[in-house]
Amino acid sequence: MSATYQPFRYPDEIKPLVLEKDDLVFSDGTTVTSEDIWEFMTVTGPKRFPFSFSTNPAFGHQLSGDVTFISSIRRTYFGMTGIDRIRNFVQKSTPIVIVQGGISNDLYLASGCIPVGPMFIRGWLMNLQEGRGYRKANFDGAALLEEARQNLSFECCNLIANIGLLKNRDLPIAAIAPCLCSRCSDMGYAVEAYKSQSGEIPALLMDYPVNHDGGEWRTTYLAEELHLMAERLGKISGKEVTDKDLMAEIKLENRARALSRECEKIWWSGEVPPTNSIDRGFHHLALMGGFDFPVANKILEETRDELKVRVRDGVKGFGLTDDPARLFICGSCVTPNQNFVDKKGGVLVGSDDIWSSINMDVKETGDPFKNLAMAYASLPYERSTEERAQWTIEQMKASRADGVIFMYNWGCNYQSAIATMITDIIKNETGLPAIIIEVGELTRMESLEQSQNRIESFIEMLQ
Amino acid sequence: MTLSTLQKIHEALERRPEQIDEEKRNGKIVVGWVGYFIPEEIIYALGMIPIRLGKGGNEHLVELGARYISSQNCAFIRSCMGMFVENTDPYLQRTDLLAFDNACMQVFRLGEVSEYISKKKVMFLGIPRKLFSQSSRTYFLEEMNHFTRKLEEVQGHTLDSDKLTKSIELFQEIRRLTLDLYNSLITRDVPISWNEVNAVVHSGYYLDKKTYAILLHELIEEINSFSSLPSNCKKNVRIIISGSPIAPGDTKLNDIITQIHGTIVGDNLWSGRNMSFNMQMKSPSIAGIADAYLNRIIHHSLPCFDNELDNRVDNLIQTVRETQAQGVIYHTIRYCDSATLKTTGLKECLKNEGIPLLEIHTEYSNSDLEAIRTRVEAFFEMIMATEEMGVLA
Repeated sequence: MSATYQPFRYPDEIKPLVLEKDDLVFSDGTTVTSEDIWEFMTVTGPKRFPFSFSTNPAFGHQLSGDVTFISSIRRTYFGMTGIDRIRNFVQKSTPIVIVQGGISNDLYLASGCIPVGPMFIRGWLMNLQEGRGYRKANFDGAALLEEARQNLSFECCNLIANIGLLKNRDLPIAAIAPCLCSRCSDMGYAVEAYKSQSGEIPALLMDYPVNHDGGEWRTTYLAEELHLMAERLGKISGKEVTDKDLMAEIKLENRARALSRECEKIWWSGEVPPTNSIDRGFHHLALMGGFDFPVANKILEETRDELKVRVRDGVKGFGLTDDPARLFICGSCVTPNQNFVDKKGGVLVGSDDIWSSINMDVKETGDPFKNLAMAYASLPYERSTEERAQWTIEQMKASRADGVIFMYNWGCNYQSAIATMITDIIKNETGLPAIIIEVGELTRMESLEQSQNRIESFIEMLQ
Repeated sequence: MTLSTLQKIHEALERRPEQIDEEKRNGKIVVGWVGYFIPEEIIYALGMIPIRLGKGGNEHLVELGARYISSQNCAFIRSCMGMFVENTDPYLQRTDLLAFDNACMQVFRLGEVSEYISKKKVMFLGIPRKLFSQSSRTYFLEEMNHFTRKLEEVQGHTLDSDKLTKSIELFQEIRRLTLDLYNSLITRDVPISWNEVNAVVHSGYYLDKKTYAILLHELIEEINSFSSLPSNCKKNVRIIISGSPIAPGDTKLNDIITQIHGTIVGDNLWSGRNMSFNMQMKSPSIAGIADAYLNRIIHHSLPCFDNELDNRVDNLIQTVRETQAQGVIYHTIRYCDSATLKTTGLKECLKNEGIPLLEIHTEYSNSDLEAIRTRVEAFFEMIMATEEMGVLA
């Protein structure tokens, strides 16, 4: 016997709140009205992406039930329609480039390319067929992962493993251009394996000098790598990348990062958490820009304004318990199921991964390549483990976290290696509890009890 | 039959910890290192004692290490971590500072966690992922200079160019002799096995370098003095071992191959032959050392996206041809992604050259001993059957 879950529906009562918002004007000149957004979120979206509206408790990407937090609804719309913008780029022959490394998009976008992470590969294939329900999406996603692993290795992390799908699938990818070796060791080996198996997509490597022991030559090298990457991407896109182009992109993305930081500070300043965990997705928006940074910035501004009001009025995020356990997340590219955390009496207050990149503020005068290199070299997530732990402690204090969860994906050698060290340092210096959780779900959307039990126990302990 | 020089090497190794103690009493500093690019020449020229650290084949150390690093790290890294935590290794106990490079990013993490656990002074050397661009070479030279400056600070004096020249000569001599030793394995009925050569190379991690060079000389002379021996080796399957490092203490796979009448005629391991291969020092300087290290065969932990520049597969094929090997056993340690992810591509390349490859994916526990034996036996049978069919045809 299996439980059935009614799909999520936005109530008609909130329609006026959605409609009173401004239109979204995209970089290509198209305008989306608030009426369009309402129609998509209530009619078109549920038909095209039924699994996204699933209320199955196991689903890690459920929609927020906070229907009066309008900027989040607009952000969700922006996210769901990202695939349409990508299709437009493909149609116009704008190169789609696979990237990795936790670094920002400034260089790629300035070079006339659209950067996407390795997850895009599976996302694109999944989106070839719309109208999938929750269970079907789960099975199809797992089958793709299995295919990818067959082409690489079962020990590859499940995010990077998507590179394995390039071997036999036809995808609109113009280049694979990752930054090695920030944060991840598997990406380089996965791309290398793809190339050695007669992979035809050009692979461009950008080297990131990992050694943390100071030294100006490291940023000089990184700046040269950025120059070279811009040149090579420019050849693919047919665009000559000037300092002016890069600076303009930096300014645009600096704005996104600054807005996101502002949102976080407001969120943290609330006596009670002003949103639930799901609605904290503004950092991701600021980092990736939803393939249209001006629109992303508009939504970030709206998020900031709504957060200000909520904090002023002492509004608590929808679905949160009173005085929830505040969890800070460390580790690799994975977060707990936000809906589950909230239901069990917790709330996520931050994560070191994307937050590290959001903290990057690139200087807006002088040589933009050098400025970008200096900013990348200073990313807290990429600094020595000792420094990263100290930075994490500062973030935990600022966010008033009650505990820290270090999570990593199965197969992630590089981040898992320092889980014990970081959590030890945090425990010793703050006295706060910490737990290490290895996530073995491998993109499954069912049978998640093992990691959920651990999270639930940790929350119970904090309470 | 045991060669008398092997016995001498064994005895020298037994005396070595005490010898190091004596040298330490005279003010010598011991630098323990893990990785593939740490410039021993510079350490030695500064009057320090370089010791390559690392242990394999010990399940207990793997389990112990996983408590401090991660169960997702490769068995070698976990084992090394266990070694650092347990701190009973006589050479580790005698180290004054530790050095790690980041060719393998897991080694880099091992360095970070070791520093935290052991509280010993730790130094790192950054390795570029691009080996053939001018900017990456400049970067690596700067890293090497920085590394040297830090060693000088510890040692209390600067690097003397004459001493560096002599040190380079000594290490190049050791490399030349090491390659001679490997080359001796190509001859059929040679009085030394790959397992013994491997053990000799590992002993070079610890022995005084001058003593080691002398012993290598003697060993090669002794091998050359033997005339061809009657044996049944001619029927053995000739194998090259490639893949993840086979660290001191790890004899599982080698033993199985030997037990079922395989003869290992060479390797291209970074715990073995590769450290000596293709090391061309164009000038006796830090720049010369940096270039020589980068110009070797590309290390398996450094991703190479350009098939034209990637010399690793060609090198393996060449090694197979030169040694008249009949197949390659590709040894991958659990979670050694740099080796494991290469398997499919490598297998396809070798297949095109008519060279069979068997991947053995394993750890340091004995639980898979018989499974490996069965797979290697089947591999040998397949090779023999294919060759017999070729003869009949």
